[in-house]
Amino acid sequence: MPKLIIDNREITVPEGTKVIEAAERLGIMIPRFCYHPALGSVGACRVCAVKCLEGPRKGIQMSCMIDAQDGMKVSTTDAEAVDFRKHVIEWLMLHHPHDCPVCDEGGHCLLQDLTVSGGQGVRRYQGPKRTHTDQHLGPLVAHEMNRCIQCYRCVRYYQEFTGYEDLGVMQIGSRVYYGRFRPGTLESPFSGNLIDICPTGVYTDKPSRYRGRRWDFERRPAVCLHCSLGCHVTVSARYREVVRQEARFSESVNGHFICDRGRYGFPYVNLPERPRSARVDGTETGWEAALKIAGERLESAAWKTGPQGIAVVGSARCGLETQGMLKRLADAKGWRGPVFDIDPAAANVRTAVSRLDSDLRVSLREIETADCIVVVSADPLNESPMLAPALRQARRNGARVAVIDPRPASLPFQFDHFPVAPDDLAAAMAILIRKCADKEPLSELGKTAVRSLRGVSDGADIPDADGLAALYDDLHDSRRPVIVCGTHTAPPEIPGMAADLALLLRIAGPRAGLFYVMPGPNSFGAALLSDPALSFGDLVSSIEEGETKALVVAESDLFGSGIDWDRLQNALNKLELLVTLDYIDSQTTRAARILIPTLTAYETPSLSINNEGRVQQSPAAFRGGDPIARTGGGEHPPRAFRRDIPGREMGAAWTALPTLGGRNPGSAPVNLTAWLGDAHPALTSLPESSDFPPDGVRLPLAENAGERFQTDRFSHGEKEEDALTLLVADSTFGTEELSSLSPILKELTPSPCIQIHPEDAAEFDLSTGDAVRIDTGAGTAVLPVQTTDRIARRVLVIPRHRDLDDRLPRERRTVLSKTAIRKATEDA
Amino acid sequence: MLSQQIQASKHPPELVVDVMMAVQEHYGYLSDEALEEAAAMVGMAPTKLDELATFYTFLYREPVGRYVIHLCDSVICWMDGYEPLRDHLCKKLGIQMGETTPDGLFTLLPVCCIGYCDRSPAMLINKKAYGPLTSEKIDEILETLRSEAAETTPS
Ligand code: SF4
Ligand code: SF4
Ligand code: FES
Ligand code: FES
Repeated sequence: MPKLIIDNREITVPEGTKVIEAAERLGIMIPRFCYHPALGSVGACRVCAVKCLEGPRKGIQMSCMIDAQDGMKVSTTDAEAVDFRKHVIEWLMLHHPHDCPVCDEGGHCLLQDLTVSGGQGVRRYQGPKRTHTDQHLGPLVAHEMNRCIQCYRCVRYYQEFTGYEDLGVMQIGSRVYYGRFRPGTLESPFSGNLIDICPTGVYTDKPSRYRGRRWDFERRPAVCLHCSLGCHVTVSARYREVVRQEARFSESVNGHFICDRGRYGFPYVNLPERPRSARVDGTETGWEAALKIAGERLESAAWKTGPQGIAVVGSARCGLETQGMLKRLADAKGWRGPVFDIDPAAANVRTAVSRLDSDLRVSLREIETADCIVVVSADPLNESPMLAPALRQARRNGARVAVIDPRPASLPFQFDHFPVAPDDLAAAMAILIRKCADKEPLSELGKTAVRSLRGVSDGADIPDADGLAALYDDLHDSRRPVIVCGTHTAPPEIPGMAADLALLLRIAGPRAGLFYVMPGPNSFGAALLSDPALSFGDLVSSIEEGETKALVVAESDLFGSGIDWDRLQNALNKLELLVTLDYIDSQTTRAARILIPTLTAYETPSLSINNEGRVQQSPAAFRGGDPIARTGGGEHPPRAFRRDIPGREMGAAWTALPTLGGRNPGSAPVNLTAWLGDAHPALTSLPESSDFPPDGVRLPLAENAGERFQTDRFSHGEKEEDALTLLVADSTFGTEELSSLSPILKELTPSPCIQIHPEDAAEFDLSTGDAVRIDTGAGTAVLPVQTTDRIARRVLVIPRHRDLDDRLPRERRTVLSKTAIRKATEDA
Repeated sequence: MLSQQIQASKHPPELVVDVMMAVQEHYGYLSDEALEEAAAMVGMAPTKLDELATFYTFLYREPVGRYVIHLCDSVICWMDGYEPLRDHLCKKLGIQMGETTPDGLFTLLPVCCIGYCDRSPAMLINKKAYGPLTSEKIDEILETLRSEAAETTPS
């Protein structure tokens, strides 16, 4: 470990640390444009010059290009170094416009900061500047090439880090141009990060243009709620609206970047249709009053039907506090629930949560260090976007990545795809497990487990069984294998089998890891706190049978459950009381007898548990209220003086719930973390909110040995020869509940289609572009066909789409007979 | 021929510059469409090809004349009189650097050192090097090329 002196202060750093990083550890921020910790050094900008006074190198050196070495004595303040940097900035500014006041980056621009601090605020060069033509890059990123200082961060990020190739660097010399071959929307779903990493104003945030300067905003850290990974973001709010989001560094979760779904999913907070006033039977009553009435009516309902006639429903997007309070309420009052699994994948999530041992789980960042990764039943880019760049970093470090999934997976790097049909996924996993059982000395597992494992059918009849067997050898030979397992569309055996495999690998030697992908931002909390005995389907039946008469629904759109809409509407009509608490406008809020608006996670502090069991905290970014743009009707806001914030007469759902408990409420908690411990023992030792570490806390997860190695549970049963399996899949944009309300992302949402293997398509006389009429069991849809040979045979994939919501089945996997699809001819 | 070569290659992207050269040979220059065609041949993104095409002097992304004059502007030629020669060429052809004569015969472009420093100042026309140059020599060369063009152009 080299020891060196920087500005007369000594520091010891690990081998291979650049001088610029060593200085940063001492709190000395050496100027930089091209260096970025995630992208490494290229020495393009020369602004990080320092002077080496003693040691193996002498004189002016680029601190991002030289490794810290023993005996180095470095000065960042030496007159020669300062002068050098000053000149570098001046010539970088030669072609750059001196017009920060009208630039969209002005106020949070690295170039502006260094120019001013380098004393180059007034320009000496009076000659003509080279100018460029800008390109249209889509709805998210604005382009102004004249501001470029050729640091290469953008291309290095775009091409090397995330693996997309539609943005590059063209030309040579002073004409160097960063852009696309042709103007057009950037293909990468991670394009927003360009805005964050460009040290000047070439790429700026298009949706927030002209909405304010950085100092106008209330800026707060937050956690993204648009998938289960829980990436870190910084929120900017102004005039009672969320205006913009940026990526926030997290050591363990997302590193430096986020996806565009997370960055631009926020507008649901600002929407005019968001419920802002409480209503009872269609009349506005005021928030407190509505809560009181709801409490009274629930109490009288309980009187008539008994407490079991009332049920509570939440969702995976509820904060942990709300989930905990729903459970507390149900427990205290003897009501049924809480049901969080309106998502059909919830059973898979429960298995995942019960199998995620503390010593097996890995964080998103740890995936980057894996050397062999098997992704099973997951579609990273479409389900949890930031997983894709993490996998790519592993690949760049030499890892093998294999995806076992029926969908036509695409990832921005080279990987092996095993397009195994859903019915064969368990058999595919069995091949891996069985090979492990054959190969490794597993005696310590006990006889039953070994017998069960050896008894696993070897699944040799599935396509590419040999390839899978060879994959096991790679897993076995790797030092850090990771099994990534999805829950959205996975058959029920898969999450357990993924854990078995990870565990067996661990016993066999390598430091194996396990990473589940879950459907919602707080699916983990939902799995911990839901009533496992009650499913949403059962609940609907019990309403139909008249057993359940009143329903409390917190932040959950029941119509997203996939239950036939007419059936659900009829069931809701049968209820004597529907109390809905929510911050988005949905069919469920519209169906409510009593509607209670609630605050979003931007307006109230909130906890959530990500897919690896990490509890994360978001403080409130702003105080909420009706956006000024709306209260002012586009004009100057009303000048009337008032003490409260218009449209803010509401609280967080969890603060409302105790009042619903009526005269004998579930009592509002004094100490949040203490009562969450009552709700579930795993939540007992959460730190106080002021002590919450930046990367949250990982829950201690109990070992659950009883569930292991029951691989004989899965049956490799007879397959119906002619049947087709319909998978209702996710896509990066347009399927996640909250971000699909974002007008910003509308343009990026793919239009509905159905994907099918060309050979299967031929059987129905279909080819790409044809329309097909499909009877999904839940309804009939006519969709354009997309053929792809990357999809499993006998499988149909329809990405979910708002326009199809009422016609797609509740189950993510449905077996259809061959007669369910046929070519839609023009006259039909 | 080209596609055979590509098929024979283990790693087609390594042939990308040759492929662009060949496509340019065929169409005269690399239009957007030609570039996309070349990209499809080697299985790369068009942007990746454009990065190279706009970097290399001898790949033309805009239409060029029948004779492309690359006048060396590197250090030796510059010392030996590049500037007056450039002015002479511009005047003679009635165009600026980077432009093409209206009759489509000549395009004038700079080039980095072509390894003809011992005969500087030098230029390259359709892969043939000329040097040491004087204004008179340039006039002669242009005349020869003009008559060559007149002879070979079917009237
Ligand atoms: S566009 Fe921005 S990030 Fe890209 S090279 Fe120019 S200054 Fe750097
Ligand atoms: S990957 Fe998921 S958590 Fe991360 S920014 Fe995207 S949507 Fe948000
Ligand atoms: S930061 Fe070192 S050269 Fe750019
Ligand atoms: S400098 Fe002109 S040929 Fe070498």
